[in-house]
Amino acid sequence: MKYAPLLLLVTVAVLIALPWLVSGSMLNAAVQMLIAALFAMAFGLLCGQAGMLSFGHAAYFGVGAFAAVHAMNAFGGEGLLPTPLLPLVGGATGLVSGLLAGYFSTKRTGVYFAMITLALAELLHALAPHLKTVFGGEAGVSSFRMPAWGIGFGSLNDVYFLTLVWTLLCIGLLYLFSKTPLGRLALGLRENAHRLRFLGYNTHALGTLIFAVSAMFAGIAGALQSMNIEAANYVVLESHISTAVVLNSFIGGVRVFLGPAIGGAVMTFFGHVTSDLTRVWLLYQGIIFVLVMMFLPRGLVGELVERIRNPSGEGFARTLSTLLARLASLAIAAFGAVFLIEFLQRVLSPEYRAGVTDGNWPDIALFSYDWAPLSVLPWAFGLGLFGIGIALVTMVNRRVAARKEAQA
Amino acid sequence: MGFQKFARGTAAMALVMGATAAAQAEPLKIALVETLSGPQASTGLLYRDAVKYQIGKINEAGGFGGEPIELLEFDNQGGPVGAADRVRAAISEGADVILQGSSSAVAGQVTEDVRKYNLRNAGNEVLYINLGGEAMELTGSKCHYYHFRTSPNAAIRVNTLLDGMSEAGVLGDNVYAMNQNYSWGVDVQDNTVAAADRLGFTVVEQTLHDVNKIQDFSPYVQRVQAAGADTVITGNWSNDLLLLMKASSGAGLDVRFGTAFLDQPGNIGNAGAVAEGHYLSAPFNPEVNPEETAVFMEDYKSVTGHYPSYVEPATVFGMMLLQEALKQVEPTEDGLNAADLAAALENATAETPMGSISMRDADHQAVLPMIVQEVSTEAQYKADDTQFGFVPIKVISAADAEQPVQDSCQMKRPG
Repeated sequence: MKYAPLLLLVTVAVLIALPWLVSGSMLNAAVQMLIAALFAMAFGLLCGQAGMLSFGHAAYFGVGAFAAVHAMNAFGGEGLLPTPLLPLVGGATGLVSGLLAGYFSTKRTGVYFAMITLALAELLHALAPHLKTVFGGEAGVSSFRMPAWGIGFGSLNDVYFLTLVWTLLCIGLLYLFSKTPLGRLALGLRENAHRLRFLGYNTHALGTLIFAVSAMFAGIAGALQSMNIEAANYVVLESHISTAVVLNSFIGGVRVFLGPAIGGAVMTFFGHVTSDLTRVWLLYQGIIFVLVMMFLPRGLVGELVERIRNPSGEGFARTLSTLLARLASLAIAAFGAVFLIEFLQRVLSPEYRAGVTDGNWPDIALFSYDWAPLSVLPWAFGLGLFGIGIALVTMVNRRVAARKEAQA
Repeated sequence: MGFQKFARGTAAMALVMGATAAAQAEPLKIALVETLSGPQASTGLLYRDAVKYQIGKINEAGGFGGEPIELLEFDNQGGPVGAADRVRAAISEGADVILQGSSSAVAGQVTEDVRKYNLRNAGNEVLYINLGGEAMELTGSKCHYYHFRTSPNAAIRVNTLLDGMSEAGVLGDNVYAMNQNYSWGVDVQDNTVAAADRLGFTVVEQTLHDVNKIQDFSPYVQRVQAAGADTVITGNWSNDLLLLMKASSGAGLDVRFGTAFLDQPGNIGNAGAVAEGHYLSAPFNPEVNPEETAVFMEDYKSVTGHYPSYVEPATVFGMMLLQEALKQVEPTEDGLNAADLAAALENATAETPMGSISMRDADHQAVLPMIVQEVSTEAQYKADDTQFGFVPIKVISAADAEQPVQDSCQMKRPG
């Protein structure tokens, strides 16, 4: 782990240089990734460190988003709240609503806690469409980023740097928070709340505080989002925002510090790239989640950290070659599966069916070749690749197992 | 021989020059930012079919500036956040016109994004053509010079529905307004109440209920029964419409429903005989103007594989307006000057199989004919492979369907 600071510096340097490295569309994706990363980090504090699984974090994200948009309209980016400080409003509203909601929900633990957070979020979600003055009705509340401190905030670059500074600052604060006594006690709350209580700690107050801090950072993420899109709409309170942050955090690894952030960023990027390429990207997203949960229950980052902490004792070269062999065979299987899914989707699409006349099935172009849907070829190709990939993975796994046995 | 050679040479030169001139003009790019994946995708895909169909027609007729129009497709992932992202992507890829329709929430985001982009990039404006976001404020408090709505809105839907039902003598004296409790449902309810004096009926009760959460509508049906209503006017869509009609039929209630979205694909198939005898006001019916319309129906089917229904015809008509406006715009060196197109589109008129439709310059709301229709077994074109379809009972001309400009629309014009 001695390379960690260096790695961190390089990452930050790349993030700062990003506007000169990538296209506008990718920079746009980067803004979304940063926001998703911060939101997932806020969730990770509650779920990963304190062991409280919330199904209603969209509420605090949304509250922050609406607070920021209203503040933007009220102050016009001047006076007490210039544009760059607007996320503070989101954070403050998140904190207050988190204190209130946390007080009730942390009275219970486990499933009951999850149910209360879900109920509170749904309460807000059901209420929002009725309060047109606050939540703006179906078309939402919109606003305009005003120039402040000599920065225009009109260009995407300005928005990117604003988001970057806030996200890095907040992740830094979250790191420092995890080192404070309160942050350490969060771990105790997760591991054994009973014991903590016997030691004389007020676990309810503790839980409420951690909940509020998590809600505060979720609120800041929400504020950054509404500043990015210059609007807020009550669909931000929908339950799928809450589930997305749960999925993202778990895919990244909810118990390692940067796991949720990386999960959030990776999955947002995945959605950004694949949603314009294929109509079934949600299916792929679901498959990825299921596979990660089945084979890497610690999450992507969690697994990586685990591997680095407990090396297999086979030496660097061998570990790397096994990893590469696994990745290569998985890539073959994935290509086969993607080919099958995409081909099937094209065959079943109504547009294609419209072109089918009297049993005449036109060829389908996929991956720059034309395939006849009635021939065995495309199906055999997809299934074959998938089978070969899976067979290769099993082979690699068997070899590793055999080597371990020989050593033991 | 000398002359022939000269003539050939000149012709060849002209061809080459013509080709280079055409190559220099950038093709016009139109971006469709629609919901193409996830649970809301079915409507988004209908918009896509219709837009592709009519852009194909425009390109067959020569495209714009001698170049075919390029259609870019973006998936807004069903929400305003994704839409904001895709609008930026579309503009950075050079789109001059943005199309979207399947949700007022997304429409609210897109129209504001376009307005702000145009403020910050004067001289490089983009246009937003709203194909189906029917919320009143889009041509009210949120109206601006570069937004154009080609679909009807709540006021047009409700007033034409009431006019048509009243003239056909099926409205009755007692009307119940049952709507979903959000801006759309409230708009429908307000317009129903406002029309009461004009058409001489009584609104016996008004109800706003939760959106897409209710499984059992029987308590609501009991209230309709207790109020002694003849007709229920509702802006409900999807499950809220189906379950309401089913509960009403299950209770043996003899009321007619006047609706806005009964023609959504799957509704008639799901409701079956329950939907029979209920009413709808929509911008299209296949039995109006049968000669012209049949040609359109068959042509649409041969291209997309199905007859146009629900939002598709109105989308095609909206694109016809765009086509007419494009005819009046001269391409510049960089392709299209969006300000010119906006000026042309503001006063565009197009001839559709349903009649003439036009854009109103005061608030950029399309003025279009509406057809009040009834679900019946006698329909020529059946819906969802059932024995039911829509029979027109009254065609309301564009002039009669027009509703006043909202006071809240303060449009700032360039110059």
